[in-house]
Amino acid sequence: MSPAATAPSGIPGHPALSPMLQRLAAERATGALMRDRGTLYLAEGQVVHAESPATPGIDILLTTGGTLRSEGWWDAVAQAGAGQRVGRYLVDSGRVPGGALELCHLGALYDAAFFALAPTHTPARFRYGVSHWIGPVRPVPVDAVQRETLRRRELLDRIWPDALTDSAPLVRAAHPLDAPVPPRQRRVLDLVDGARTATDIARELGRSAFHILVDLRRLAAAGMVATVRPAAAGPASAPGRIELPEVTADPDVALLRRLRDALEAL
Amino acid sequence: MANTEASLKEAMTSIEGTLGVALVDYTSGMALGTLGGGKEFNLEVAAAGNTDVVRAKLRTMEHLGIKDEIEDILITLGAQYHLIRLLKTRGSNGLFLYLVLDSGRANLAMARHQLRKIEAELEV
Repeated sequence: MSPAATAPSGIPGHPALSPMLQRLAAERATGALMRDRGTLYLAEGQVVHAESPATPGIDILLTTGGTLRSEGWWDAVAQAGAGQRVGRYLVDSGRVPGGALELCHLGALYDAAFFALAPTHTPARFRYGVSHWIGPVRPVPVDAVQRETLRRRELLDRIWPDALTDSAPLVRAAHPLDAPVPPRQRRVLDLVDGARTATDIARELGRSAFHILVDLRRLAAAGMVATVRPAAAGPASAPGRIELPEVTADPDVALLRRLRDALEAL
Repeated sequence: MANTEASLKEAMTSIEGTLGVALVDYTSGMALGTLGGGKEFNLEVAAAGNTDVVRAKLRTMEHLGIKDEIEDILITLGAQYHLIRLLKTRGSNGLFLYLVLDSGRANLAMARHQLRKIEAELEV
């Protein structure tokens, strides 16, 4: 490791997402960092796994994608769960190719880390010595996880700067534009029903939650979906009511500011 | 049965003129693995930027009503070739291999052939 590992300075130009995580990386800690929206598992200061209630777990990603049948997954958990080597067992028993497991695991790890590292007011806890039953797959440096998480936040805000899309139930727009929707986004759009949230859709499709957030923000930017606003939830759906576009009812100040800034910069 | 690191290594060593290679998730723009590159060529930045190239092409095909799949995208610069190969994944993740080649040393036909072989071995 570079000398920076002993004197954590965070990522230059960015505030550290979690000073505690930075410190744990520096002391090469092993255990589980529990935050408000997810848990990061560390081994010798590197991130080895992550879980969040907002994201589908690696089991869902593997089984829904058709890589693995769910009996195969449960068998692996039964055989190797106690020894905390489920990942290794899946590969060694020929159920999942090594490359597929790695990619799926990395996908799940970064996906859950994105939510686990979301801003929160609840203090984090760290339990030393705890490890995850999936076992070693491919450890990732803490800096890489923090960098990627920040990049993802910026990516989402560039697409459509309304974070409510990520967590609120969604509805399809009443008068969508007649534009073609790519197949991947179409499958997401088909599940938007006024009740499901991004997390529900991710579970259903067996895709990473962040992918769904990206698709939903793109659909929102294209005017195809909107969030169910708590105040409008009741009367807005009553028949006979004329539905006005959301923007006039509730101007998105951040977006308007951005527009103004962009126009001024021309 | 190759893991990602072995596949990237194979691309680096078996394809003549390779300067860098990355395996990229094109929805998030994240590089799941990179090899080569260096200070003057940041593969992670290239990975994120090239997802827009892939997306733009996919969208254009959608607008044109072309029901086909992209195999690869070739971009020729003065001194480099950039080759993007979309992987046919069993799962629903969209991935591509991104290859940076020195145009003075590379054999494009051979590079495409090798990349196809590596894709088959990666088994994602």
